[in-house]
Amino acid sequence: MKAMKYMKYTEILSLNRELETVLKGKKFLIALLSNIVVNQLKEVLELELRQQGINAEVIVGEYDNIVQDSSRLSEVNAVLIFWEAPNWVEGLNARIMSMNVDEISALKERFESEIDLVSKNLQHTPLVLFNRFSSLLFSTDVLRDGPLSLLCRQLNIVLEKSVSRNQLVVDINAILAKVGLGAAVDFRQFHSSKALYTINYFKVYASAVAPALRAAAGRSKKVLVLDCDNTLWSGVLGEDSESGIQMDDSSLKGKIFREVQQILHGFRQEGILLALCSKNNPADVDHVLNSHPDMIIRDDDLVAKKVNWQDKATNLRELATELNLGLDSFVFVDDSSFELGLIEKELPMVKCAQVPKNLSEYPALLSELKQDFFTLSPTAEDGRKTELYLQEQQRKKQAAQSDSIDEYLASLELRLTILWDEDIPISRAAQMTQKTNQFNFTTRRYTEADIQRMLEDKDYTSSVFSLADRYGDYGVTGLIIIKTDRTSPSKALIDSFLMSCRVIGRNVEYAFFDQIVLSLQQKNITELRAEYHATPKNSQVAQLYDNYGFKRIATIEGRREYLISLADYKPRSIEYISINLKGN
Amino acid sequence: MNEIKNKVLDVMSAVFDMDIKDIPDNAAPEVVENWESLSHMNLVLALEEEFQLRFSDEEMMDLLNLPTIISIISGILEARHE
Repeated sequence: MKAMKYMKYTEILSLNRELETVLKGKKFLIALLSNIVVNQLKEVLELELRQQGINAEVIVGEYDNIVQDSSRLSEVNAVLIFWEAPNWVEGLNARIMSMNVDEISALKERFESEIDLVSKNLQHTPLVLFNRFSSLLFSTDVLRDGPLSLLCRQLNIVLEKSVSRNQLVVDINAILAKVGLGAAVDFRQFHSSKALYTINYFKVYASAVAPALRAAAGRSKKVLVLDCDNTLWSGVLGEDSESGIQMDDSSLKGKIFREVQQILHGFRQEGILLALCSKNNPADVDHVLNSHPDMIIRDDDLVAKKVNWQDKATNLRELATELNLGLDSFVFVDDSSFELGLIEKELPMVKCAQVPKNLSEYPALLSELKQDFFTLSPTAEDGRKTELYLQEQQRKKQAAQSDSIDEYLASLELRLTILWDEDIPISRAAQMTQKTNQFNFTTRRYTEADIQRMLEDKDYTSSVFSLADRYGDYGVTGLIIIKTDRTSPSKALIDSFLMSCRVIGRNVEYAFFDQIVLSLQQKNITELRAEYHATPKNSQVAQLYDNYGFKRIATIEGRREYLISLADYKPRSIEYISINLKGN
Repeated sequence: MNEIKNKVLDVMSAVFDMDIKDIPDNAAPEVVENWESLSHMNLVLALEEEFQLRFSDEEMMDLLNLPTIISIISGILEARHE
């Protein structure tokens, strides 16, 4: 697909209309609030996301109604705010020069309270993007801040303080720098129509904020798959031999690949999964990974390796299966146009990038790619991700050696720890609702503020579990949110129930549910309702409530409602999972 | 001249989301439903991109119907060749 930066505005409009009719599935709604005219961003941003398979729709708010709009928005997935300080008051950019200190501080107070109000109004929206205030468009101050620069600086401090964890502050000056001020701004329509920005600017802006929106849509990238020769190191291992490849400081190319490996190692620390896909002899590559003195990336930094002579599309498909992740969460980097062309053709959902011909541009390319892996709620779990996946592979090996699945599961020595309500790690719980697609009955996405609110609300009972076995700790990997009926407290509804894909297949869902039912019974709940909302990804749980013994009571358009009288629930009592109850 | 007209019509068709055959020769905001102030802005930007030119403030104010748009663009392009 043609990258948007090379498309004319008319092409953007036409393709965007076309994609609108093609894309199916739930709409991802973005409200665009502004005090200047930014309507052209609508199509540009929609196309940016639609090209990535997200059925996005941008709703443009009323002109200069940010505060009012923010109080009546609901049901949107994200809000984007273009609050142009110089236009906060008609002509402020010029008028501020002749204002006295009291006038400016009165203005500042008003702005501060408005910022605070908008931030509060939007604290339950899954994602809010505030543009940082900037005076760059209107001021040329370099040696000393003028009043407008000063005001923006002070307001930015207020903004940073006001935002809650679902709200991000966009570094708009960095975007302006990328585009260049001259190419970003067009004053010809400012006085007549209050429009300021060029299409060019909107293109760069849209691609800069897309990673956050993609993350909110549960579509961020997770795996970075790398070729080896001339991608991880300089040279061709099969021809130059181990002593001939370079990733050290003794040559220019080596220096660049050393930096590349350092960057990649940083990615791994942040939770990006690294994998290899290379046409080489596996033993040769293993030897380099384990023994080459200059390598920074080592075997245990890699979540998986496909080093063989089969085609790379097959390899990527196998990697996806092995890791239990969708191919649309893959990014693939190679130096060969042939290999990249194959993947683009066979697996268009994989994002491809080529090692630049000018190697000096390679580190910058990787930093750019990193944006695709953006996550909304970074947690302590992220840094352990590679480790967790590697443990999983050991388990799979063990599984292959065991005769029966039960025998295998018993050999794992599974230990389930269950935490209730105030013991729940909030950011991890929110992150799971945002990222889990497969084992997820209702796919409701919650922010940390939402989780916090539910934990404080007496009508809600929530629980998470963490799982460990003889190979290691999977961390917090399951969540259930139950809402009791205020009017008849013996009835409750499962609002959300989800489990990370890394613990699927161990019957934990049965052991956990036994405990949930037990606890609800202790709370004198006798009747439990549940829902299954079908999505393209969650078919694996379509039957689970039936397996638990629930009765289907209604089915409307892919939404199924279930009911069970808890007296009828039959616990599975899985003996090979030991249970550790905390709290409650 | 015809080549310029055809390009302008292409742009209008994309911006106003309508078939070229439905755009009359005297197209103007009064007669084309989708030609309002916001889409006018889009039209100007798209024309500049298509013809690789930049209208002056005064030209911008005059771009109010199809015949004038064609004559302003032709004027700019001719001046370029002189």
